[in-house]
Amino acid sequence: MKFELNAIQTVQFGVGRDDGDEHAFHCVMVDDAVQTALGEMATETWAIMRQLTNDPVRYEPSEKYSGCEHVYLPLDDDLAVRMRNLHEAVNLDIDQNALNDTEAMFCYFAKFTDARGWKLTALRRATQFKGVLKSRLLWQSGDALRLMDDRVFKLDKDFDLLIDNQRIHILRPSGFEFAGKLQEAILGAVAGNVATLHADLPFVQFAGIQDYASTHPRAARYLASIRSQQEVAKIDRQHLINTCDATGVEITLNGRELIVSERHIMGFLEVLDRRRYEVKLVPNAPEQYRAPSRTRLS
Amino acid sequence: MKPVKEGLRLARLMMVLSSISPLFILWAIRGNCLIPEYWFLGFCLFMVIAPSLYLWRRIVIAKKQKQIRPIVVGKAEDHRDHLLVYLFAMLLPFYSADLSVWRDLAAVLVALGFIVFLFWHLNLHYMNILFAVFGFHVFTIYPKTDDNPLSGKTSVVLITKRVAVPSKEQIAAYRLSNTVYFESGGQ
Repeated sequence: MKFELNAIQTVQFGVGRDDGDEHAFHCVMVDDAVQTALGEMATETWAIMRQLTNDPVRYEPSEKYSGCEHVYLPLDDDLAVRMRNLHEAVNLDIDQNALNDTEAMFCYFAKFTDARGWKLTALRRATQFKGVLKSRLLWQSGDALRLMDDRVFKLDKDFDLLIDNQRIHILRPSGFEFAGKLQEAILGAVAGNVATLHADLPFVQFAGIQDYASTHPRAARYLASIRSQQEVAKIDRQHLINTCDATGVEITLNGRELIVSERHIMGFLEVLDRRRYEVKLVPNAPEQYRAPSRTRLS
Repeated sequence: MKPVKEGLRLARLMMVLSSISPLFILWAIRGNCLIPEYWFLGFCLFMVIAPSLYLWRRIVIAKKQKQIRPIVVGKAEDHRDHLLVYLFAMLLPFYSADLSVWRDLAAVLVALGFIVFLFWHLNLHYMNILFAVFGFHVFTIYPKTDDNPLSGKTSVVLITKRVAVPSKEQIAAYRLSNTVYFESGGQ
């Protein structure tokens, strides 16, 4: 990671709020003890990530992830735009009243700078942070327990993700997708992804696929994932037809153009995303499988 | 986007009162025939010492709690001329006002109240002769104009010992209020 966690110079804390149509991020001043705790959370997050793997794979929007998995996304990726904006934002407004409306609060974050001037942004969903507000907390006063009148927030042990100047290091993909409003971003990117894929695969008719993916988030995720693969342009038309045939995806041919019926669009996208495959272990009995989660063997 | 509230109301009020402390020094020297000397002197001394002590305490707390905000400079303007305006527009007229009649004194105090409110409301609490005495300069820092929708768009005031603040520089400054920041080590 391009940041020295043991040489933190400044810490800014803030919360993300859902102000109607837009997500807004505001800084809230915290004292040095909270700043130290935030630094420890970032260190803990990085330690957990390194325990999971030192060689993370790239985040894919079509993949089904477990709760904690160490994956990364380049900061210049189209899907990283919201997190990139947060990381690169400067002079964020300070608003001590940002904590007043807890219902609108969806995340909290910390922005660090180290001795070299490198920046690190860490973010966590605010479920636990504001969850304590609904509890009846007690404190000991003398020999009696009393109800706490003050509003209390709770920091978690770690963050969902860390952002340095090159990558988003993700520990909880669901947290990243939620805070980054990924579903909306992916649905909004359907047209651009289809245009790119059509240039790489001119023998596929994408019009029906685009219409379908515009209203089906899972299909839109597949498109985003397929687009990020480097081998798309190398896909062979005949191999694609054979795989579709072997895995039960119905396509029709109009000259050189492949047309996919609406019922089989998901299957076709699964084929392109290497999630639908055939295994031949038993003679004369090929088996077809679908893989919601898969890892490439190097 | 919801408007950002300034916050730290009391601190800002005390900073405004601190900024008009030279006026009370001048009044204390002049004296007043309506009020007994020890009451008038005591009041003037209180108005000089208490707000300035509060300002000093605010700086100490900001340092102790590491209330640091990195400020990225888009454009910086030196506002030493504000101090002159402040001196000539406020300090001297009030100093020369006649305080020998109760009604005049009341009118001056009410006018001073208006000025304090305006300074407080318009975030002009950075104008303080004490900063100049200790060798600080006052700059207005305008934010960097970038395409990032999350970057702050409001300008802030930086009190620093630097004589120039180059653009694009990142300065870690202590927060005195949400719009006024203090850099203790800058030279």
